[in-house]
Amino acid sequence: MGWRKPMEQLDEQYLVSEGTSLADVTEIVSKVTEQKAPRLWWILFGISTAVTGILGLTIAYLLWTGIGIWGNNSPVAWAWDITNFVWWIGIGHAGTLISAVLYLFRQYWRTAINRFSEAMTIFAVICALMFPTIHAGRPWFLYFSLPIPNQMNMWPNFKSPLLWDVFAVSTYFTVSLLFWYVGLVPDFATLRDRATNKIRKWAYGFVALGWRGSNRHWSNYERAYLILAALSTPLVLSVHSVVSFDFATSVEPGWHTTIFPPYFVAGAVFSGFAMVMTLLIIARTVYGMHDLIRIRHLELMNKIMLTTGSLVGYAYAMEFFIAWYSGNPYERFVFINRAMGDYWWAYWSMITCNVISPQFFWFKKLRTNIPFMFVISIVINVGMWFERFVIIVTSLHHDYLPSAWGNFSPTVFDVLTYCGSLGLFFTAFLLFLRWFPMIAIAEVKMVMPQADPHLGHHGHDDHDEDEDAMTAEPAMAEE
Amino acid sequence: MSTTTDDRPKIWRSLAEKVDPRRAERLASEETGIQVGSLLPDNTLVNRRTFLAITGATTATVGLSGCIRRPEENILPYTVQPEYAQPGIPLHFASSTSHRGEGVGLLVESHEGRPTKIEGNPSHPMNAGRTDAHLQARILDLYDNERSGRVRHGEEDSSWAEFDAWWREKAAELEGTRGAGLRILMPPTASPSVDRARQAFAARFPAATVHTWSPVTEDSSRVGTGLAFSQSHVPVYDLGGTSAAGPRAKVIVAFDCDLLAGERGFLNNARGFADGRRVHSTDAQMNRLYVLESTLSVTGMNADHRLRLAPSQVDRYMRGLAEKLSAQSGVQMPPAVARAVEGSFDALPEAHRLWIEKTAEDLAANTGRSVVCAGWRQPFHVHALAHAINVALGNAGTTVHYYPEPDAAERHGLGDLVEAMQGGLDTLIILGGNPVYDAPADLSFAEALANVQNSVHLSSHVDETSTGCSWHLPMAHELEAWGDHFGLDGSYSLQQPLIAPLRGGRASHELFALVAGIRAWRGYNLVRNTFRERLGMAGFERSWRRALHSGVVDAPPSRPRAPALQDSEVAAALSAHAPAAAGGWEAVFIPSYQTWDGSEAHNPWLLEMPDPVTKVVWGNVAYLSPASATELGLLTPHDFEREEYEGSFPNGWVLDITTSAGTVSIPAIVIPGHADQVVTLPLGFGRELAGRHGSGVGTNVYTVRASDALGFATGVEVRRGVGQEIVVQTQDHHSMTTITGDRPLAIDATLEQYRETPDFAQWREPTPTLSPLWTEVDYSQPRPSAQGGRTYQPYPTPREPREGAPPRYKWGMVLDLSSCTGCSACIIACQAENNIAIVGKMEVARGREMHWMRLDRYFVGDDLNDPQVALQPVGCQQCEEAPCENVCPVAATAHSPEGLNDMAYNRCIGTRYCQNNCPYKVRRFNFLDWHGQIPSMARMVFNPNVTVRMRGVMEKCSYCVQRIQAARIAARRLTTVVDGEIQEHRIGEELVSACAQACPSGAITFGDFNDLESEAHRMAHLDQRYSLLAAVGTQPRTVYLGKIRNPNPEMV
Repeated sequence: MGWRKPMEQLDEQYLVSEGTSLADVTEIVSKVTEQKAPRLWWILFGISTAVTGILGLTIAYLLWTGIGIWGNNSPVAWAWDITNFVWWIGIGHAGTLISAVLYLFRQYWRTAINRFSEAMTIFAVICALMFPTIHAGRPWFLYFSLPIPNQMNMWPNFKSPLLWDVFAVSTYFTVSLLFWYVGLVPDFATLRDRATNKIRKWAYGFVALGWRGSNRHWSNYERAYLILAALSTPLVLSVHSVVSFDFATSVEPGWHTTIFPPYFVAGAVFSGFAMVMTLLIIARTVYGMHDLIRIRHLELMNKIMLTTGSLVGYAYAMEFFIAWYSGNPYERFVFINRAMGDYWWAYWSMITCNVISPQFFWFKKLRTNIPFMFVISIVINVGMWFERFVIIVTSLHHDYLPSAWGNFSPTVFDVLTYCGSLGLFFTAFLLFLRWFPMIAIAEVKMVMPQADPHLGHHGHDDHDEDEDAMTAEPAMAEE
Repeated sequence: MSTTTDDRPKIWRSLAEKVDPRRAERLASEETGIQVGSLLPDNTLVNRRTFLAITGATTATVGLSGCIRRPEENILPYTVQPEYAQPGIPLHFASSTSHRGEGVGLLVESHEGRPTKIEGNPSHPMNAGRTDAHLQARILDLYDNERSGRVRHGEEDSSWAEFDAWWREKAAELEGTRGAGLRILMPPTASPSVDRARQAFAARFPAATVHTWSPVTEDSSRVGTGLAFSQSHVPVYDLGGTSAAGPRAKVIVAFDCDLLAGERGFLNNARGFADGRRVHSTDAQMNRLYVLESTLSVTGMNADHRLRLAPSQVDRYMRGLAEKLSAQSGVQMPPAVARAVEGSFDALPEAHRLWIEKTAEDLAANTGRSVVCAGWRQPFHVHALAHAINVALGNAGTTVHYYPEPDAAERHGLGDLVEAMQGGLDTLIILGGNPVYDAPADLSFAEALANVQNSVHLSSHVDETSTGCSWHLPMAHELEAWGDHFGLDGSYSLQQPLIAPLRGGRASHELFALVAGIRAWRGYNLVRNTFRERLGMAGFERSWRRALHSGVVDAPPSRPRAPALQDSEVAAALSAHAPAAAGGWEAVFIPSYQTWDGSEAHNPWLLEMPDPVTKVVWGNVAYLSPASATELGLLTPHDFEREEYEGSFPNGWVLDITTSAGTVSIPAIVIPGHADQVVTLPLGFGRELAGRHGSGVGTNVYTVRASDALGFATGVEVRRGVGQEIVVQTQDHHSMTTITGDRPLAIDATLEQYRETPDFAQWREPTPTLSPLWTEVDYSQPRPSAQGGRTYQPYPTPREPREGAPPRYKWGMVLDLSSCTGCSACIIACQAENNIAIVGKMEVARGREMHWMRLDRYFVGDDLNDPQVALQPVGCQQCEEAPCENVCPVAATAHSPEGLNDMAYNRCIGTRYCQNNCPYKVRRFNFLDWHGQIPSMARMVFNPNVTVRMRGVMEKCSYCVQRIQAARIAARRLTTVVDGEIQEHRIGEELVSACAQACPSGAITFGDFNDLESEAHRMAHLDQRYSLLAAVGTQPRTVYLGKIRNPNPEMV
């Protein structure tokens, strides 16, 4: 029972800076939503909304004209559209992993970043969902893919991995949204209680669902949170596995690969953490959250990135090995072509960004260097984008029949749609920073020394093993 | 609320109502819960009535706005029902047309008076129901809204009446001078009515001359046969005829001769050639094709042995062959000819002597069963020598039939005409053709035309020539006019109109007859009178009707002649024209497979058809050999290294090519198997006035074509010019080997290998033998009488299939790689049948072409200079285990009970997942609204039985499902009940897919695999069958027959 051992014995630090009181936590987080937004926020928000506007115009033109405005063609029928979809879905993975899996594994350090990453998940999944919607040739008939009883007596094709995608991603979105909201309720109540004007009082009061912090409320809350965590944990594995089925169940060389589900999940966690890292470093600096988000948190995240990055590297190597070992000439060619063909630069960008760059995190000095990790986190996300591009485009462009080979080059609308989705994401995220408690106040308090009823007492451990009590226990960083 | 006395009712139900009626009303409504009057006071903005009014108006508006997208169409009944027309049921009319100067038979499909598809007339002896891409594409010309519809005089609009009046006056004036100062220029035409008009013209204007011009000229052949046989003849090759002894022509040697796709009679040649390639048993005989040429042609792609040569050297090689042949026993080479070619063999390069020697031996071993032919580019004495060789080999009369030239009149060339024009001609009438564009550059036709006082040009479009003439007259399409034609073998066929001229034009023979003073010049009368003259009055109406019905006149066939060889004349000509010395750059002019000589440049279907050899679309480029490109500094050793890996060279460098006639700048590409120090220039592009599709597409190489070097030019200067252009090809020359691994795609074997291992193809691409985990569809089960699929079932119990009903249909296609020549007729036939959109150059460059049928062309072998070519038509394979079907989220593509992989366009949402998961990449996506920009007139070409796809929808080959359904309906009507037994009429060989129907070489067989008697079933079970990418496990319904080559064992 390591987590019960006194701090001193373990030579570990608390997750919050020493001397931070419970009131300080409330103050640090709440004041962001109460004070005027900093100038930097306005600048970023202005840029993001402008980019989102461009996205709107691009989509309007796309719907009016057809997806021919993009560079997709035959044989490359999927290109940036699905690359972006998988990329965003992957980014959206970190939220659930941090909220649910780390919660179940008692990784208390997650409390500083879970709110943040869950919000990021929601917005990333929104961006992700946009792509399959607009990439369809006739999006106004997308409801054909939903199992709605209809006069045609037609069901969707339940054999299609795309349909599984519809279910997997929408389930993931729903559960993530609920999870996020449940966690927000006590904090909304805090904001409501601090509110000084009527609108804030009303608005936060509305979303706080009448939370009064009673014992019964907390008890129900903890139950609900645990159930949702248990529900979302399999989703962490399932969503990206199902997304990988889009490729793995096909007959395309380079796609038809059994390693895809775990490989995609590892990649998703990898990119999700990288995106959380990027955002976290910015928000921490801008809003001065150093007391709550400590270098320890960042270091732990870097360790996860190192692990998942290495897993992804292993998957790349294994793909190559299996391509050779299978003896399938088409498969072999696709992999040689990835590394040496028309898109060699994409492949080597992917290897550099995803496999080589996280290896620097073996060194503690680099692992704890904030500017360095900021750069690496961006590099990783670039690399993960290239990974999806490599999988999708280089497999399709040269497959079985050389007569049908072709190349893909993006148009300006491909770029606008992609950048636009970033704009949408950041707009949503900036609004979140402005109006929502960006750190889970209640949860952070639970892991502070003040929450430990045995603070200062040593050497006893006959504790009630009740779940609630465990959560409320004093905690420290665990690996 | 005020109540006045006036409001009070006269008759009242209660006191309360009398005092205050409104209150009473309210009370009443409250009591019963029924709204009696308005609940709202009158003076409010919205009361019940206005609310209803607003709601009603809104609903109506919403309803109206919903109608905006629907185009308004009027349905009108026939006021006078056309004969035989039944709405929804197409009629077929036999007709004929002139195709590159020879008559071919057509069968035209017409829907409600609107022709939609052209097929070959099976009764016509020359094309026997077959067509090529150009004939298939002509239907689109009919609905070209840019076709000229107005007579123009100078810059002003005029009318036929004005022209007729002008001509009456002019003719009277010219008659006074016996026609001096009157010239006619027309393309070569083989037509009885034109012959009649020609005679009448000569009688009316004895001093006038008729000149003939076509850029792809037959003059060499005419002069050559004239020299060899004292009179011009057309050689008609009889290559086919499958008997136990094998094909009639066992050895074919083509000297710069595109026998299968370019020369006169090519449809007949392709059919016969393919007959000789079809090997269905190990003891079957097969023909062998030797080709000597500079540019890889369709014929060259099918060669068993191919020698690449500069065009000027072909002469030398034929002489060498003739010399070797004279030494062979059994060859009766005339001594004079033998003497004339003496020493030629030793003059050949060392490396090629064995080739010629072995070819000569092969020819000598097959006397009377071989063919030697020369192409139009070669000079007349080469043709004469080829005929001398044929006579010496005993081929004349067995494999080569000499028919009198159908257009036997004396020829006057363009040179004489230009001379006369420069001297100031009074009247020139140009009946079709576009000489300002395609005349040799050194003649300066356009300048000469300016000297002509009255120039009349009849043409379908306002083109380069029209704008230089004083009169422009619109020409009727061949489906709008009466006409008659001679086939190469003298067969007489009629052309009948299917529609009144859409743009009000006249046919060229009509105008010629008018000019000649024939009173009954109108097409119908002209053709009928010609017919009457030729066949006499007895039973005229009957035979006329029969001829119209069958398309071919039931006249005694003209017989091939057995002309005597004038050996001394041939020998003299050979001595007089010494073969050219090798060395220096040469330029070869080839008619483009897409636009031919430029006359098809309007037609977007043809512009977008990939060139059969180079796969270039929307333009022409110069072709070079890899060595020549290196010599010019275009390719570096590094490019060759990259080629090993990528299977493609860089291309598009602009070359400046200078001949005696001028200089042209044209982008170039490298083609394997091309002769060194030769540049090939395809004709027919770079038109200035060819409508919105054809104008400015490609480069006009007529600017470097001199009148004395129509076929090829020697002493050419080739330099690298400025820049590099984008060349759009649908396929690079990726081979199936190199880095890609040895892919078993277009599988081939030699005849010997086939005899050793008849199932060679299956050894290369074995079908997986593991049994599947699921129950496979059993097509032998009787077809359920309901819809088949598990659809909504309105009856309480599903209807059971009938006891003892015959098995279902199992549609299948067999593609014989041995007989496919790569001519691409199937691509256009499919386009015409299935309403396939064109997308334009830039969209093809992006890889968005829509052709359902693709012709894959692979180079086989490592030698870039001597590649073998494998051709493979690929459409949807209609897989039994179709990868596309599983992945569609909305089940828009599904399996039919007859094994078709059906597309439900209305259900498709356009995820394109099916396209990704298709190993053959045959699915085509409507990335943009391709059909949206088509003018309404061009929409008339659409086949009404095939959905026109909107954007965002996937499409692909359907095995012509609309034809299957039509055949099913027809078969159902033939189903009878005999003694209470249902005698089902099964669809038989009358059903063919559009590609199979068009294919000139009969390489495509379509039919019911469950019909054990069918040709399709038999073909699908031949030893050399295989499935494309069988290892993927898709179980394609389309079966390929491995290509069998027949190389000379002594030359391998």
